[in-house]
Amino acid sequence: MPTIAELMQSLPEAGAEADRLPEPLAAASMRPVPVGRLRRIGLLGTLQAKIAAAYLFHWLRGCLCSEDERQRLLRETHWRTAVRVLDSMGYLRGAVTKMGQTLANLPDIAPKEFVQTLERLHYDAPPMHWSLLREMVHNELGDDPENLFASFETRAFAAASLGQVHGAQLPSGEKVAVKIQYPGIARAVTEDFQNLNLFMFPARLDKDWGYVKGQVDDLRLRLEMEVDYQKEAAMLARARSLFREEDGIVVPRVHPQLSTERVLTMERLEGVHLDEFLRAGPSQEQRNEAARKIFRAWYRLFAAGRVFYADLHPGNFLFLPDGRLGMIDFGFVVALEDELWRLCQRLDRGLTTGSREDRAAGVREWSVITDDEADADRLRLSVDFSDWAWGFRYCGGEFDFGDEAGFRRGIDLAAEMVRKRYTRANPCTPSICRQNFGIRSLLYRLKARIDVRPIVEEEMKAAGWDRHDA
Amino acid sequence: MRVTAQVQAATRRRILEVAQALFASQGFEATTTRDVAKAAGIATGTMFNYFGSKEAVVGSLAAEALADLDVDFKRRDREGSSLEEDLFAFVAAGLRRLKPLRKHLPVVLEAALSPVRGNVDEECCRLRVSHLETVSRLAAKQLGLKELPAMALQIYWSLYAGLLLFWANDDSPRQEDTLGLLDDSLHMFVRWLTDSSNKPKEP
Ligand SMILES: Nc1ncnc2c1ncn2[C@@H]1O[C@H](COP(=O)(O)OP(=O)(O)OP(=O)(O)O)[C@@H](O)[C@H]1O
Repeated sequence: MPTIAELMQSLPEAGAEADRLPEPLAAASMRPVPVGRLRRIGLLGTLQAKIAAAYLFHWLRGCLCSEDERQRLLRETHWRTAVRVLDSMGYLRGAVTKMGQTLANLPDIAPKEFVQTLERLHYDAPPMHWSLLREMVHNELGDDPENLFASFETRAFAAASLGQVHGAQLPSGEKVAVKIQYPGIARAVTEDFQNLNLFMFPARLDKDWGYVKGQVDDLRLRLEMEVDYQKEAAMLARARSLFREEDGIVVPRVHPQLSTERVLTMERLEGVHLDEFLRAGPSQEQRNEAARKIFRAWYRLFAAGRVFYADLHPGNFLFLPDGRLGMIDFGFVVALEDELWRLCQRLDRGLTTGSREDRAAGVREWSVITDDEADADRLRLSVDFSDWAWGFRYCGGEFDFGDEAGFRRGIDLAAEMVRKRYTRANPCTPSICRQNFGIRSLLYRLKARIDVRPIVEEEMKAAGWDRHDA
Repeated sequence: MRVTAQVQAATRRRILEVAQALFASQGFEATTTRDVAKAAGIATGTMFNYFGSKEAVVGSLAAEALADLDVDFKRRDREGSSLEEDLFAFVAAGLRRLKPLRKHLPVVLEAALSPVRGNVDEECCRLRVSHLETVSRLAAKQLGLKELPAMALQIYWSLYAGLLLFWANDDSPRQEDTLGLLDDSLHMFVRWLTDSSNKPKEP
């Protein structure tokens, strides 16, 4: 595994000489079409992809070394890179922001300064000015925003990873949020990841790289899905149909006639993000209620919607003044294929019996673990990890999600598995791990104390899962 | 006399219309002046009384498309917008109008820019002059100058011509790359402009 220092060195300096880049990158940087800022985006994108990769290493390495050394590394490299990223970023912040969100979701792994830098990055991106926006809207929707909307705020109210979000009002008076993508960004993202794959993987295909590749693939999948707002619109509509008024969970309605691959118009939810919600000093019960809704939303999508909502990070939830929970951003949702779906059902049954034997059987199947003696430790660790990830859902009773030691245990177990190279598992494992850490970190930040088993049972029952023939 | 002028205007109109249709259906290269004349129902010789060349036809079409561009543009004028935004709006308004001619623009530009082609259509020149006047006015207003230096206009025009050439060959979805390039070019231009107008003047 290359050292962080080596990785840092491999990052091109500002104005790097193209001739020092590895071949596919050099070729990419000489792409024949001199598209000004677009070309810069292309190069930046590649640079960012490399940085994203550097973070992946860092993350893994952080798991592999002692606490002191980790602190030193965090200070030295994370910070330096974050600053450089901040410096060099133009439009394409997507890749790194994604990584940042994953990392930011894991307190203690990502240092605070780093998380804050990434947050700044998210909100200080150079915005598209109104004239450019108007052309984008005209290009995409066939008319000027003034004609399509009753009013349209010329300043974005939020940044998205590949564009920006504007407030507007429909002729009907309904308030909407319009997400608009930067021109050319979709193709830049796709190309950059092709380049990344080209230069990164063939040379270093050992065991560790396999794991990293899985993560990068996950990232790529995410970005590729995210670039097509039409896919997201379809997912939003599907998700929206899963919730009833009494759930107190709302997914914004999409306006398809005002949406394309690059423009997404949806109902605007007037709510605040987690940080602001917490700043207002909500009571334990308010926090518990918010946690129950987040948990229910996640389970509903899984059991009734048959999808993994892999994006459980704070930016995707809005806390509405009337107590409802808003769920936005369905750019990264994994639909479950039949085979995986059946496997999930088998595992669920195994988990509910309360016997470790049954759980172990499920884990064996998931992680392809044999009866081989050599696999004994692997099995033990995997079962421990699955107990951490699943136990609170099946055991019942109030669970203190704010308990830091409990949260850390999951991280330590995952780290130990990585350290021991126990990375063989179902291909969607990274996305599942992300969900597990994502939900736990959301509930951790809410310091929730709740019993989630009734929610699990209700959701499974409503979805018609057979859980009691084991 | 009046009638003749009217007939002339009608013929000119007809030539422009059929030419545009022919360029669009069979391409600029493949269309001959004879094709145009025939479609317009006039003799090839008569055609030359109206337009000296195919390029001139495209030039006139472009000039016509852009004739009252200022109207579109004024409608978009916005309080508190930046120079970059203003220029972007102006150029983009022009692109929208030139859209049907997009693929044929390089020939006009070539004629308009070439130092060796003597018979540059007057209309092309006028087009350029009026375009630059608007740019100069916008920039001068925002920067508090009387008018823009010739050097600045020269630079602007090169960027603009480059943009049109790029646009003509842009096969990205809905020519989104052109918007990116325009954004970039204007960013550069305005940066340069403000940097150089802030510099202390040489004595
Ligand atoms: N329907 C909506 N109502 C209110 N605010 C919204 C809505 N949609 C998006 N936003 C705001 O815009 C921000 C970005 O939107 P969204 O998460 O959909 O973009 P994204 O491109 O998927 O970005 P990311 O994946 O980085 O979060 C949200 O965090 C939220 O603040």
